[in-house]
Amino acid sequence: MISVRDLYKSFGTNTLFAGVSLQVEKGEAVVLIGPSGSGKSTVLRCINGLEMFDRGEITVAGIELHSINRKRPSKEDAENIRRVRLKLGMVFQQFNLFPHMTVLQNITEAPVRVLGMSRREAEEIARGILRQINLESKVNSYPAQLSGGEQQRVAIARALAMRPEAMLFDEPTSSLDPEMAGEVLSVIRKLVEDGMTTLIVTHEMGFAREVADRVVVFDKGTIIETGPPEDIFTNPKVPRTREFLNRVLK
Amino acid sequence: MRRFLGILFLLIIGTGIIIYAAVPSKPKEGTLDKIKKRGHLLWGADAEGGAPYAFPDPKDPSELVGFEVDLAQSIARELGVKAVESQNAWDSLIPALERGDFDFAMNGIEITEKRKERVLFSQPYYIYTEQLVVRKDENSIKSVNDLKGRTVGTLSGTVAQDILMGMRGVNVKIYSGQVEPYQDLALGRLDAVLLDLPIAAYYARPNPKLKFAGPPVGEGLYAIAIRKNDVQLKKKLDEVLAKLYRTGELKRIYEKWGLWNNKQEKLAAYFRNPDKNAATLEESQRAPVKSFFPMLLKGAGVTVLISVSSMSLAIGLGLILTLMRLYAGAPFNWLAASYIEVYRGTPLLIQLYILYYGLPNIGISLNPVLAAFLGLGMNYAAYEAELYRAGINAVPHGQMEAALSLGMTKGLALRRIILPQAVKIALPGITNDFIALFKDSSLVSVIAMVELTKTYSMLAASTLRFFQLGIITALLYFGMSYPLSLLARRLEKKLKKDRR
Repeated sequence: MISVRDLYKSFGTNTLFAGVSLQVEKGEAVVLIGPSGSGKSTVLRCINGLEMFDRGEITVAGIELHSINRKRPSKEDAENIRRVRLKLGMVFQQFNLFPHMTVLQNITEAPVRVLGMSRREAEEIARGILRQINLESKVNSYPAQLSGGEQQRVAIARALAMRPEAMLFDEPTSSLDPEMAGEVLSVIRKLVEDGMTTLIVTHEMGFAREVADRVVVFDKGTIIETGPPEDIFTNPKVPRTREFLNRVLK
Repeated sequence: MRRFLGILFLLIIGTGIIIYAAVPSKPKEGTLDKIKKRGHLLWGADAEGGAPYAFPDPKDPSELVGFEVDLAQSIARELGVKAVESQNAWDSLIPALERGDFDFAMNGIEITEKRKERVLFSQPYYIYTEQLVVRKDENSIKSVNDLKGRTVGTLSGTVAQDILMGMRGVNVKIYSGQVEPYQDLALGRLDAVLLDLPIAAYYARPNPKLKFAGPPVGEGLYAIAIRKNDVQLKKKLDEVLAKLYRTGELKRIYEKWGLWNNKQEKLAAYFRNPDKNAATLEESQRAPVKSFFPMLLKGAGVTVLISVSSMSLAIGLGLILTLMRLYAGAPFNWLAASYIEVYRGTPLLIQLYILYYGLPNIGISLNPVLAAFLGLGMNYAAYEAELYRAGINAVPHGQMEAALSLGMTKGLALRRIILPQAVKIALPGITNDFIALFKDSSLVSVIAMVELTKTYSMLAASTLRFFQLGIITALLYFGMSYPLSLLARRLEKKLKKDRR
């Protein structure tokens, strides 16, 4: 479903990551962990074209993204990036809800304007998703009237309304307190259980261990270890993985 | 409402105090004594476009020439002093005289009943007539009787203006300089110009595109304006003028400037009966203030119209400039940035002059309404563009990323997600700019647009009621801009609420 091959990116003399390769199969839940600044978020952002890379190749549902200059992409490249984005739902650390729109408008905006769905159909779908995450009462609220956890759940709903084939989560709970993080994590857990292909960058180790089919450990711009969560968390092979886990699990 | 009235009250009182303080007390010793003690006399005139009265010598612009310059020198010689000209806008020579800026004013000032209420006049030194001028190819206007339905230009505060205003169905255009009416006539913006013969003789006669139409009309007297209490100075000046007439020196001056005609023989009558023209306090026949309101309100209407339309242009053009700067690539970015820098870095007044008086040089002639609309709108577009850019930059970057990751194109994301938020941020600034533009619209009075400020200066110049009409005009502006400020403040508050 998602395939990253030999990805390089540097910024001036600073190498962000080098030779990263990664596969996510359909229905698989892959969790990226590792110290801050190890490049995992940037890889995630490369996958849906929000970030440029220098070398390598990314394929999403058969659509290839190259290491072209994305600042002024050709018409074809720009179209490819957009097609990839339509296959992927993205959830940000900062939620990024549209503050001038109600919850319902936030969710229906893209289905109506991008997919050309009728407003009625889009609203039906939106209400359905909101019902599943217990936010039906907030349809007409503005983002500023919601708690952080509620905002992030609406952001997930907004991405899901586009019927993506896979979901990308970029540290979805990092700006939330534990209680609110819990409600967001249970929504993601439910998605994974329902068989959604997911790629998650997170610092929640307990959650990673629980939902991941596979855990990928990043350090200093490279992948140092990959494996099922039981292996990584109980019996890591690489010393640096052990050091990292010791640090964060304390 | 109470606070509003309070502010209004303070404004009026404050203005009154400032004006009172600015007027110096009346001189105690006679002006004539002061002139002799000082060794030179100060005479007020407007040398800007002032030929053939008093104007910078084309051969040496640091020197003034003109028949009144010659006359002033002769007068000074008779008094045993030197003559020094004091530059002052023609419209406000009399207020400046009253303020004590110079000893007397001599600049083609016609003797009128209204002016006699405020100043003493010397014996007349020239008998002028009004000359109608039209384009060479104009055959339907042969005299002032053919002006019905035509657009006729003249100078603000002149007797020609009074004559034209008194005629029914003539569309009168008032200018503050004497060069511009003939320019506009040549360009076809006017059908005719009616002005004092000396002006027509100097500016229109040499112009191959123009011709005199019909014989001179009306007849009036130029005299020296003196402060009301300077009876001694008036007596002395009358003596000097009579002497210059008797000796033929006055005639020689007029002949030198091509202004002598047999009408001037009549001057003798005034010099023989020196008392005939002695200034008396006329029964003041002041018009009630409310008679000015229809004209002022009409001017205010034009001001509102020009402000609203040019603000619309500024908003639209500003948006295009911003989008060019932020999203359209290097050449467009450079183009928009240059536009903004040039328009912000040069005075609006110069831009208006170039649009209205400059463009005709290269064959583009705009009417005043269009020139005012373009001038104000294009100038303010530069400010709007910078406001929008600040607004767009204030929208968090994550908003664009979220929109793009939902599959929106950049254009759609801008239109639906970024701009609505940016406009909200920029709105108080836009309202402020609108208030500023509203007041700056007074500048378009320089390009023959009769809006509120122009209406005021016309009325004030002809009635000399600068203070009273000034306060009324200021209140009209204030009454229109204050509600806008209130709106701006309310928008700011609302914005704060939405952003908690």
